Amino acid sequence: MLATVSSATLVGVEGCPVRVEVHVSSGLPGFTVVGLPDATCREARDRVRAALLSSGQRWPSQRVTVNLAPPATRKVGAGLDLAIAVGLLVADDQLDPGCLVERAFLGELGLDGTVRAVPGSLPCIDALTEPEIVVADGAVVEAQLVGRHRIRAVSDLVTLIKALQGAIGWPEPPPPPLPWPLPPEPNLADVRGQPAARYALEVAAAGGHHLLLVGSPGAGKTMLARRLPGLLPDLPRPHALEATRIHSVAGVPLPPGGLIRRPPFRSPHHGASAVSLVGGGTGAMRPGEISLAHRGVLFLDELGEFAPVVLDHLRQPLEEGVIRVSRAAAKATFPARVLLVAAMNPCPCARGGPQGACRCSPQAQQRYTRRLSGPLLDRFDLRVELGRPEIGELMAAAGGESSAVVAARVREARARALSRGVEANVELRQRQLDDVAPLDAAAARLVEGALRAGRLTGRGLSGVRRVALTVADLASDDPPLGGDHVHTALALRCDPSFLAGRVA
Amino acid sequence: MTLPPEAFATALAGLPRMGPARLASVLGARAPAEAWASVLRGQPWPEPEVRAALGADGAAVQAAWRSAALATDVASVWRRLGDSAVGVTLPGTSAYPAPLVDDIEPPAVLFHLGDLAAIAGRRVAIVGTRRCTATGAGVAHELGRELAARGIAIVSGLAWGIDGAAHRGALAAGATPPIGVVGSGLDVVYPAGQQRLWDAVAESGVLLSEAPLGAHPERWRFPARNRIIAALADVVVVVESHQRGGSFHTVDEADRRGIDVMAVPGSVRNAAARGVNDLLAEGRAPVRDVDDVLIALGLTAATRHRAAADPRPPPLEADRAVLEAVGWQASSLDQIAVRTGRSLPDLAGALDRLCAARWVRREGGWYERTSAGGG
Repeated sequence: MLATVSSATLVGVEGCPVRVEVHVSSGLPGFTVVGLPDATCREARDRVRAALLSSGQRWPSQRVTVNLAPPATRKVGAGLDLAIAVGLLVADDQLDPGCLVERAFLGELGLDGTVRAVPGSLPCIDALTEPEIVVADGAVVEAQLVGRHRIRAVSDLVTLIKALQGAIGWPEPPPPPLPWPLPPEPNLADVRGQPAARYALEVAAAGGHHLLLVGSPGAGKTMLARRLPGLLPDLPRPHALEATRIHSVAGVPLPPGGLIRRPPFRSPHHGASAVSLVGGGTGAMRPGEISLAHRGVLFLDELGEFAPVVLDHLRQPLEEGVIRVSRAAAKATFPARVLLVAAMNPCPCARGGPQGACRCSPQAQQRYTRRLSGPLLDRFDLRVELGRPEIGELMAAAGGESSAVVAARVREARARALSRGVEANVELRQRQLDDVAPLDAAAARLVEGALRAGRLTGRGLSGVRRVALTVADLASDDPPLGGDHVHTALALRCDPSFLAGRVA
Repeated sequence: MTLPPEAFATALAGLPRMGPARLASVLGARAPAEAWASVLRGQPWPEPEVRAALGADGAAVQAAWRSAALATDVASVWRRLGDSAVGVTLPGTSAYPAPLVDDIEPPAVLFHLGDLAAIAGRRVAIVGTRRCTATGAGVAHELGRELAARGIAIVSGLAWGIDGAAHRGALAAGATPPIGVVGSGLDVVYPAGQQRLWDAVAESGVLLSEAPLGAHPERWRFPARNRIIAALADVVVVVESHQRGGSFHTVDEADRRGIDVMAVPGSVRNAAARGVNDLLAEGRAPVRDVDDVLIALGLTAATRHRAAADPRPPPLEADRAVLEAVGWQASSLDQIAVRTGRSLPDLAGALDRLCAARWVRREGGWYERTSAGGG
């Protein structure tokens, strides 16, 4: 009369085990789902009923109560369908209770009894402790990434029932899809000239420093930004799993093999809302673009066109590497460790720069500059102003170094960072800087001069030291940091006034 | 208490739709007090020059004047002016600036803040675009400073860009009181961001305006303002101007008065120098340095060929190539790196040293060579 089935649901990007309790008893025929289901989950009763009837099973004309425990956690999506259906069959004595032991079920049901994969299968399966898990064919790749469970893949309810009854053996999981080669990432060799911008890109990749590119249209800002992921090393397995979980939850197609090995690159349009950028939503909490770019690159093109309030939402996650979203109905924490690259025009008419071609009124320019709050600008340790490449550069036959050559240097620099106990120099704490990045006499003098001239703030100083350390890493120089390292870090950091009007 | 004619002229200048031409025609036809009475009566003006200035829309203009005049108390207007530091002069009075007396379109009422004596000496107008380059602003600053140092008053419009830079230069010399001509009332600082410059010019020199107290900087006031700048100048120097920019209005007004216009040549790649290069193509005299202006004024250029000693420490031998590569046009880090072929860490040090020694100025991500005076 009572059956308890194991399954899981999503809380943010984490899986959460759920016990599905199905109770069938005499009383007025009816079907109730309790335990904080969301709308999709509540509709399970209609899907389960149709699927059972389509599969030739009996529907109990009795009172059916389904409880989803723990009752305080909101259950989202259709992934509990399969567990409810199996629990109902057991509670109605159509299946043997033994088939629920040491086994969990995860999948959505179609009205014809088809079993389908749900978004977020990977974190859900990861949260389950049962040794055997029944999933839809489509979830096998993600399920095998976890690697701890025996995975049973079924395509429809009839097959599942027969397998549980022992009438047939468990079907073979479908063969993994043929690996198709990933499209090649854009190569840095395509960029003609622009040695300073290329170098800034290399430093950003090696040290994980956020990068702001300012320049008129045609200066190649977007082209450069798209080449940044190609300079980053492959994700180590734990990071790859983190990224894959998030993409799985968001329903973004995963690469062949299921694991995201290359750093993701996300470039939301500047019309993006705050929720789409940082995550949230009214029903299910969905990860935002900043989480989809976790361990990869978040590229904000036309930074000046984003709504200022949306941009200010990015400040906290950029600092902490996670974003905590709180809504009335739920709370969630999404990972959000990104390398932020932003591009913007120097002014609204985009003709700005020192050539005197800007047509903006000083007021319009001030408004444009104000869109970018000082604290956000402070997060960018690399700020590079780009001019259009000169004709000679464009016509030069030879491109610069290829991505592979630069990526090799980046790998070595990151290895040095790893020896300091961080992934990249950007993660070094203030305290560590004094130990790992001492300044020699010339560099100290230089920094002092920049502080005195008002070119640097306290926070800016740490940023410059981190960048200078990355510059030294790229050159395979050992600390202490010398004058040239600090010179370079300062050259790659335009003072914030560069956005203000150049007029008088 | 009988009010002076200036009180009625001030009240007339404050009427709506009262531009310089209409004001001049009305005050040309009748004495200020009488003209005010006529406006109050609202009857048609018999004088042909007033009718011409009123134009086809005359009746509506007069109606607007009359309703505004009925709501205006001349005595309180006069009191308000008296309470401020702003003075007013009318043509025909001894205080009225001499260069404007014989002008083809003299301001019918002229307000001033500061000492009108600033207008007594030689005067050069320095005008140009608001959207100038750092080079342009530097040249304007340098010309303003060196001319002022030689006792020549700088006339300009206090706008952003070239205008402001020229006046800052003149103030930096601290030698000759500058003359500012503005398009708003003398208690309405425009552009608001120039408050400090505005105060400094009024303090050490004089600010002039045709607009009464409280007048907003309406668009039509600026061409009228430019005509006064041209009328006050012995020579007009255009430092940087976009093609057919606002400076051309000053140039046209100078041409109407037979006043010499000179232009500072600029690069053909510099959009802000198109206008000045067009002026040079028309055959205007170029301004290469302050001596060219002094010669045009008929003053001897004693400084020509005198190589000024550069007070800056000479750049390191290794940095010279970088200095050459920076050039006098703003260049990005990328461009300098391509020109020198040096690696960025190497280049960054050289540029920082040049900046520290003031051979190069850095603005945002752009580098530009500077002359000894910082211009």
